[in-house]
Amino acid sequence: MEDVAPTIAGPDPEPSPERYSDNNLENEIDLEEVRKILSHFHYRDFQEAQELILSALQEINEHFGWVSFDAAEVVAAHFGTTATRVYGLLTFYADFRTEPRGRHFMLLCHGMACYVMGSQRLVENLEDVWGIADGGTTADGELTVQVVNGCLGVCDRAPICKLDADFFGDLTPEKLNVAIRGTIAGRGSWRDAHHPVPAGSNHDR
Amino acid sequence: MTDRLQSHAAFNALQLAAQTRWNEMWEGNRLIVSVGVDSSSEPKGALRVLAACRQALAGTDAIVREVSGNGAMWMEPTVEIKRPGEPPVVYGWIGPDDVPALLAGALQDRAVGVRGADAFGEIPPLGEHPFFKHQQRIVMEDFGVIEPDSIEDAIARGAYNGLIKVLFEMTAEEAIAEVTASGLRGRGGAGFPAGIKWESGRKARARPKFVAVNSHEGEPNVYKDRRIHEGDPHKILEGMLIASIVCGAERAYNYIGGEYPLAIKRFRKAVVDAERLGLIGPNILGSGKDVEIRVRTGGGAYICGEGSALMYSVMGVRGQPRTKPPRSVEEGLWKRPTILNNTETFANVPAIINRGGEWFSQIGTPTSAGTKMMTVQGPLKHVGLVETPMGIPMRILIDEVWGGMRDGHQFRGVQTGGVSAGPLTEEHLDYAVDFDSMTEIGGMLGSGGFVVFDQHVCPVDFARYLTAFNRVESCSKCVPCHRGNPALVEILDRIRLGGGSREDLSLMERTSKHIIDLSLCGLGQVAPMPLLGMMKMYPQDFLDHIDNHLCAAGACPVSATATLATAAD
Ligand SMILES: Cc1cc2nc3c(=O)[nH]c(=O)nc-3n(C[C@H](O)[C@H](O)[C@H](O)COP(=O)(O)O)c2cc1C
Ligand code: SF4
Ligand code: FES
Repeated sequence: MEDVAPTIAGPDPEPSPERYSDNNLENEIDLEEVRKILSHFHYRDFQEAQELILSALQEINEHFGWVSFDAAEVVAAHFGTTATRVYGLLTFYADFRTEPRGRHFMLLCHGMACYVMGSQRLVENLEDVWGIADGGTTADGELTVQVVNGCLGVCDRAPICKLDADFFGDLTPEKLNVAIRGTIAGRGSWRDAHHPVPAGSNHDR
Repeated sequence: MTDRLQSHAAFNALQLAAQTRWNEMWEGNRLIVSVGVDSSSEPKGALRVLAACRQALAGTDAIVREVSGNGAMWMEPTVEIKRPGEPPVVYGWIGPDDVPALLAGALQDRAVGVRGADAFGEIPPLGEHPFFKHQQRIVMEDFGVIEPDSIEDAIARGAYNGLIKVLFEMTAEEAIAEVTASGLRGRGGAGFPAGIKWESGRKARARPKFVAVNSHEGEPNVYKDRRIHEGDPHKILEGMLIASIVCGAERAYNYIGGEYPLAIKRFRKAVVDAERLGLIGPNILGSGKDVEIRVRTGGGAYICGEGSALMYSVMGVRGQPRTKPPRSVEEGLWKRPTILNNTETFANVPAIINRGGEWFSQIGTPTSAGTKMMTVQGPLKHVGLVETPMGIPMRILIDEVWGGMRDGHQFRGVQTGGVSAGPLTEEHLDYAVDFDSMTEIGGMLGSGGFVVFDQHVCPVDFARYLTAFNRVESCSKCVPCHRGNPALVEILDRIRLGGGSREDLSLMERTSKHIIDLSLCGLGQVAPMPLLGMMKMYPQDFLDHIDNHLCAAGACPVSATATLATAAD
């Protein structure tokens, strides 16, 4: 049981070839789709509108992998506020991205269990071997990494990362590199991990 | 069971039906397979184990249940099997491929224990396992027992009895008196007595009032609050409803970290089910009381766990703390009185209302009543989530509950209080784990997350990691914290790189004092504590870096410099 990496989470992704067809970053967000997401966010009064802005941004961020300035303007219009206010939220909260994600997305845990078990070396390895630091994307658009300051909650297998839908535990820099290469060679993408936060407004909770 | 229940009697009837169904299930002649699925077992394949069980048993009359894990993370995924006429037995280390053998009755070597008081053949009761032996579970009582998505399971096990009491049998004053008498102190870190906060909340005159649950859990050293949502969400919900009713709040919020999708999903399901039964909303069970529940999610900013920042975040702006007073119970969400407590605090309330404050106050120590959920990280054998009475010695936790160090790892220390306090070393391990005992040596209970570290971790580097966390997570509102923490990191880096001097030690102490004394909120006010603690406990390591360019753990680049220097000589 020692060497269980990769341990694979969640239901197996449904094969849908068209999802993996484009290797390029999606630089545009379809604003019609944003409006469709927003149509689930009804609000009855001013307070509820304010409370739902963050939830709406989260859903958009999960759906597209990031939130563009244009999308932020649409959100602002929906909730009757300014785009600068919405953009201020995007830059304050660590989960939001204001740039597109690469094809694969990694959450590298740098919580305390992972730190005491050596995640510092993994962070350094990403810079040395893959040329990316927290929030960065490789030049070929294959991999985006987010270093997580919190804890992924699987501390018994620290240090650990989540690559698309898969978790890889008990990592060393070598194991991490193998995992990344395997993921890039595979057909998956960050969308496999799409784990929608079931948000929506209070009514459809 | 789709209509809103209109009365106390209707609830009693539903409860009786749920209990009958529950008892018939466990006493019946069907095979019951319960797979523990939560955020720590899912990455290890628990969902695929569940799918494999469903597939293997399709077409039979077996019952396959999705429960949550029982905290014993190192042996996950776990599966509990109850065969007709036998007690339920928990098996560990079950991968999807093991399911056929497991169901066929093989794999007896992976049986961990019987859920129940008596042994079954060779298999001892789970409670005799060192991991479980010292535990007493109030909040985690039904973890792995109920299906968290089933409100009927929860009700069969007694959920909402406390709510019934405050609706129909007790006055608000009596209920708050029980909470005060229990000695329950806030589980989010500061340990403020919950009863006193609730009393101020009840007396606050402005309307409307709100209740808020702090389920943000942005610290890098804990994973307990998300697991209450995943294991028994109804405990939290019932605590919120009780608080709302006795304090006169018309709306209760639960602010959950956005990184915990399973916690959010299961809690939302609990809310929908409770609403369907009429336990939430207008005129609860015909009592004339109204409570609305709202779920809000965070965006990955540690500072949003701070009370006022959390409220700004709920209100859709940047989560930056404000100066106090006014306290949140006077002016919180939407400038109205808001009673804010940690998730675990609320989850303790139903038991207190049901069994009395007196009962609760007998558990734990005189000043820290009750139990505490605790998590451990580091190279230990039995990493997992536990709930023990307050006051348990650290040594027992580490050596027995968590199984001691893994082979090849030597104990160096245990960091306490997350990013807000200092470490304990070998000689301090007999200190009791409660709110007050460890503070005299710079330790802290905090939210109950402990990080054990070994000879591979350098105290200077660890201090840098902890200070850098606070630097990154500072909201940048006030200068001492915004500028001071980067300064500390810079000095620490100098030492790590071999350019430090002895003056740097006193410079760090002076800078720390400024940050502690002058920062606006709790983040800055304790941000230097881990560094000061490391300096106090491991002075020799700091001096070795400065004087001898030596990092005993081999973690700091200073060692590289030393090698270079020798080579050049
Ligand atoms: C920087 C900072 C982060 C905090 N994070 C949390 C948290 O994640 N969860 C929590 O319950 N309390 C957190 N707190 C404590 C809260 O401010 C507050 O004291 C607590 O939620 C009150 O509930 P309690 O009395 O039940 O502990 C944090 C405090 C500070 C200063
Ligand atoms: S102490 Fe730090 S986190 Fe708190 S308000 Fe000041 S800058 Fe923000
Ligand atoms: S700290 Fe990385 S999984 Fe907990």
